[in-house]
Amino acid sequence: MYTCPYVPAQWIAAHGLQPHRLIPAPIEGASTIPRIEGLCPYARAFANDAAAGVEVTGIVLTTACDQMRRVFDLLVHRIETPAFLLNVPSTWQTVAAPRLYLDELKRLGRFLVRLGGREPSKEELARIMLDATASHPRDEDGVHGIPCGCGSGAPVAVVGGPLMQRDRVLFDIVHECGGRIVLDATETGQRSLPAPFDRRRLTDDPLLELAQVYFQIPDVSRRPNGELYRWLAAELPRAGARGVILHHYVWCDKWHAEFERLKEWAHLPMLRLDSEGRGEMDSPRVRNRIHAFVETLR
Amino acid sequence: MSETPRQITLQEWDRQVEFWQAAGVPQPAYGGPLGRHAADGDTRLLQLRYDNSRAALRLWNFLLTEEDRLRAAREAGRKLVGTMKDLGTVPVLAYSLDNLVAFYPDGAWWIPCVMEVNSGLLQIADSLGVDESFCPVRAMLGAFVTGAHFPIPDLLTCSVGATCDDFSAIAQRLSGLGHPILWWEIPHRRIPDPGEEATELPGGFSAPASLVRFVRSELERLRRALEELSGQTLDDDTLRRGIVQANHVRALLARLRDLAFTATPCPMPALEMLIAEMLAIHFCSDQDETIVVLQELLGEVTLRVAAGTGYSPADAARIFWVNPVADLQVMNLLEDCGGRICGTEYLFAHALDPIPETVPPLEALAQMALADPMVGSTTDRATRIVAEIRRFGAEAVIVSRIPGASHCALEGEIIGELVRAECGLPVLEIEVPPLTDALRPTLSTRLQALVETVKNRRNR
Repeated sequence: MYTCPYVPAQWIAAHGLQPHRLIPAPIEGASTIPRIEGLCPYARAFANDAAAGVEVTGIVLTTACDQMRRVFDLLVHRIETPAFLLNVPSTWQTVAAPRLYLDELKRLGRFLVRLGGREPSKEELARIMLDATASHPRDEDGVHGIPCGCGSGAPVAVVGGPLMQRDRVLFDIVHECGGRIVLDATETGQRSLPAPFDRRRLTDDPLLELAQVYFQIPDVSRRPNGELYRWLAAELPRAGARGVILHHYVWCDKWHAEFERLKEWAHLPMLRLDSEGRGEMDSPRVRNRIHAFVETLR
Repeated sequence: MSETPRQITLQEWDRQVEFWQAAGVPQPAYGGPLGRHAADGDTRLLQLRYDNSRAALRLWNFLLTEEDRLRAAREAGRKLVGTMKDLGTVPVLAYSLDNLVAFYPDGAWWIPCVMEVNSGLLQIADSLGVDESFCPVRAMLGAFVTGAHFPIPDLLTCSVGATCDDFSAIAQRLSGLGHPILWWEIPHRRIPDPGEEATELPGGFSAPASLVRFVRSELERLRRALEELSGQTLDDDTLRRGIVQANHVRALLARLRDLAFTATPCPMPALEMLIAEMLAIHFCSDQDETIVVLQELLGEVTLRVAAGTGYSPADAARIFWVNPVADLQVMNLLEDCGGRICGTEYLFAHALDPIPETVPPLEALAQMALADPMVGSTTDRATRIVAEIRRFGAEAVIVSRIPGASHCALEGEIIGELVRAECGLPVLEIEVPPLTDALRPTLSTRLQALVETVKNRRNR
């Protein structure tokens, strides 16, 4: 079980284990992490859901977010399911950073073997990666569908961190308010999809190719995070977005701090939605704000 | 030794300084009445109480004149290096070269306290989208925008990776405002796997040797950048001398802490000790003077201990303090409530440990950087805290939350659990914003309750 997009599902599958990307649904009253001031609701919900998970062999977290790094500390004390912390470098321009990520994937592989998985052959990994390329990645990890962009509503991009299950309602509300989401640039959307694998490199060294492709996923956590802006610079016009909704959870510093910069950079109308993760995306207040925002785009 | 130790107000200090000046008592170039800093806007100084030794006066004046030193260094042709989110690594590299001065822009986090939120820095941060949900270090953004609290450095470095999200986000915002940053990676320190080559780090942790090599390669990048900036070569011998000098500072602090945290009565108040410890991170922009300041402070404390003088009450509750406070006055408050400091972990315990001198210097610095309690697990940090509690004989622990800091959401719980389990001590978690005036009754009550608990436990 994992949630961070820097955890390659194919690597878990190649070890004979079933990858499950957890998109948490907050459990009211869950006690693995009681609600704590300053704690990101997504991190808390992930911890609570992961702890409540039955038939979970292992949990993989990453260092891409400091709160999740610290959730790992708590989980190893509170639950018996083995947990693994994957070190995802924040920097990316050096030769050493992707190499560290590759080494971390190898270490993850050893963890998976300890969980009862089998060490994959190159051929097996390559086959799984090819299958993933052929199939729709959304189908296997259960995250949000890619927006179809069809219809006549005002075209809107949604940008930000991951969305919890209940916050998926945001897409419906935008539609009901006369808009349509043409780009899902959240962590649980298109932005975090790995690029297609290169078949030649995949044959030569599939793990290296896997690491290279996943390491290139653009994210707000990268320093500097210019690749995120490069990706948006390509995708926003391609999708025809006329406005941007930035969604983040309270206490998510990285997305929170990015709003003003994104606004200065995008030259598009922007709406910020911060959520406490209690399903308030469906509240009349948020609905009104979205409605007003969409109206300005028409 | 100065007269009988007692805490005095800023006005008392200024009268004393006036007397010394009239009597021709020599003072350092940056010396003088503390009141001038208050007149410049550091109004919180009017609310604090200070140790009455000359050594403490020198410490305060040294701290409060850093900006002057930085501007003088620039005028003298030296290059300035801003070392962000760096608790003691890059400054050691920078101070090895004689034409570089490193400083700690994150230190701006105390400006809202010292200027009692009159600096406008937090409002600037607000306008840049970094509001009160972030750590007070967001004041740094405002300081960069105004350029009024430190000169804009010639080189800006920032460690990222296993660091807090709020600072990483703020630094990225700064970069987005057009300040180029040399980012360097400090990876999460993990426990070596069975059979994996491991390196023992200063402070007792261990890390995979591969991680040490990785950090070393990052420090190589920094070394090259510093060489380019200074126009000098930072070879191993030069760096080794820099490490010896940094270790001199650390050794002085180690002796100071040992005496201040173990002697009864307490020979130096918590506030001065907090400031003294902070010097280890970046030397307050003058490494040589840092040594002089600490030597004087250590001399004063040594004399007080030998004379058996210090602060009352002698039965003060012995408190271990975790995390620095955003409002300096809280250190006074602890003592008002009947406590004293017996051990600290102000986020940079590694910057107090000696840097290894028997390994190649860059390797030594890599080991030291990885020994940072904040880059490892909270459990590691708590383990070190437990060891220090035992060493200094603390009777209770205060975990002081920094508002908005990403590490503070969960660490108190983990540290508290381990301390209770291993030491059986009471643990109090409080949150300290830059100005605690409105919270003072609540904070006092909580601190007093802890002190009472400690004293009741003595009688069991």
